[in-house]
Amino acid sequence: MFLSQFKGELIKLFARRRTYVGYGVFIVFELILLVTFQLDILRSQQEDYMSQNGLDPAHFFSSLTVTFLVMAFSLFLLGSIYFALVSGDIVAKEVEDGNMRMVLARPISRFRILLLKFLAVCLYTVTFVVFVGITGYAMATIALGFDGGLLAFAPEYGLFAVYDQWGDGMLRLVIAAVLIGISMCTISALGFFFSCCRMKPATATIMALSILFLDFVLEKFPIFRPLREEFITYKMSSWLFVFENHLPWAKIADNFVFLLGLDVTLFAVACVIFQMRDFKT
Amino acid sequence: MIQVSGLKKSFNKKPALKGIDFKVSRGEIFGLLGHNGAGKSTTLGILLGMVAPNAGEATIDGINIQQSRSTALRKVGAIFESPAFYDYLSGFKNLQLLTSYSGGVSRKQIEEVVARVELDDRIHSPVATYSHGMRQRLALAQALLPEPEVLLLDEPTDGLDPEGIKWFRDFITGLREERGMTVLFNSHLLNEVEQMCDRVVILQEGQKVFEGSNTDLEDEFLTLNIDLEPIDLLPTLAKQFGGTMVSQYLQLPKTTDIADVVEAALSQQGRVREVQVVTNSLEDLYLKFSKKVQR
Repeated sequence: MFLSQFKGELIKLFARRRTYVGYGVFIVFELILLVTFQLDILRSQQEDYMSQNGLDPAHFFSSLTVTFLVMAFSLFLLGSIYFALVSGDIVAKEVEDGNMRMVLARPISRFRILLLKFLAVCLYTVTFVVFVGITGYAMATIALGFDGGLLAFAPEYGLFAVYDQWGDGMLRLVIAAVLIGISMCTISALGFFFSCCRMKPATATIMALSILFLDFVLEKFPIFRPLREEFITYKMSSWLFVFENHLPWAKIADNFVFLLGLDVTLFAVACVIFQMRDFKT
Repeated sequence: MIQVSGLKKSFNKKPALKGIDFKVSRGEIFGLLGHNGAGKSTTLGILLGMVAPNAGEATIDGINIQQSRSTALRKVGAIFESPAFYDYLSGFKNLQLLTSYSGGVSRKQIEEVVARVELDDRIHSPVATYSHGMRQRLALAQALLPEPEVLLLDEPTDGLDPEGIKWFRDFITGLREERGMTVLFNSHLLNEVEQMCDRVVILQEGQKVFEGSNTDLEDEFLTLNIDLEPIDLLPTLAKQFGGTMVSQYLQLPKTTDIADVVEAALSQQGRVREVQVVTNSLEDLYLKFSKKVQR
């Protein structure tokens, strides 16, 4: 029964046009990126960077490296908009439109309704990230070919990792994609939390994005440098550590346990708030 | 089948219900009347577990809704004014989705109910393309799945054309005859309530001001419309027989003999041209109690 209800929730989610806005935007973004990499001036800039670090551009300017760039530099800023949009909408929109009262007139607990919706947005979030990874890699393969190594770099996080073998690089990318998906669920949990409060869907989305970007800005603020690792957005970037040669499992686990704990807490508080609300017919 | 006792509810410290009680027997069609803000929707909300009362309790078939909401609602189907479906999905998909929250029903069961509400030719079209009448019929279909014992109807005929209203009325009364279904009917359409309901409750500003049947209304007073000269003799007659004037009508105790009234008028040199017994309608009673409506 739970599965049939969950399937219904997914049907509702994926039958709405706004769910696909993000997919469309990312396809366009990836196309722009690939066209851009064909421009000599930008391509040579990347190749120079590799050469200066003693890497062969012919091997490392590859589909794996481009996929890494797509995931590292677009998902947080661009993807978060769509995660907040969908999660901010999922409860508040049904309340606003009156669909919720039709559901609440049924013999199903409010907790179960919210659990179904929360799992649906989490699934949307993870599959969206995987979609971006797969399409990014597919397009990069069309432009640059299948083979090549992986160069993963993120100077802010002290990351500079090289994987000569395609298989090693791909494995790290797959693990990273799953971890990005899990970390992005925190944005969805924030959106979901506000969606369960007495506010309009757009307000819930804006509130979630405001908190996220406030955290992001503060994390980058020089004065907060010593506390940097305590910020949500820093912990959400823990997936980058997957590319380190010696995996810092304890650090990754620590940060992800924190994020999962935050997600569960947001869900639990949202349930309490939703439970206390009156819905007039 | 439905019991409401001592229900109180306030929103932002403003009382919406001030302790109402009523009972609806199995197989009864019961009307809930009152102007906007009288507390009808709040009562229905409490019966559906959507609104938590501050005091009192509501039960369906003896099951306390606040304590065992899911169990109680297994016996209930509900229709709201302007039912909000997922417009981007078909009527059929909407029924599948909503019934999945009640444990699910078979495709055949859905098809049977859809045929019954005469929506089979459009059930696979998106709800966005439905007329108001079709939406109400879809609402009726979802309320009937899976086979409730109680129907809670919130202004179900609002916005329907006369044919639609008649269809709906016949359908609901038919359900009662066939299945002995209990119906709580919340409406502004007094004519509908009068034609359909066995008993009514009138709410005003969160309080019950009347509970009874149409027969009770008729028996309460003897209301006479007397064409009499001089007209100022009417208040004297009212006083003489222990009654009152209500507008141009003489409202007297129901035991009053009309012949005595006419004789009294004649004995005071009155000229009686016509005497009509006015039957109390639900509308009369509603107007009497609902001050806001009178305004």
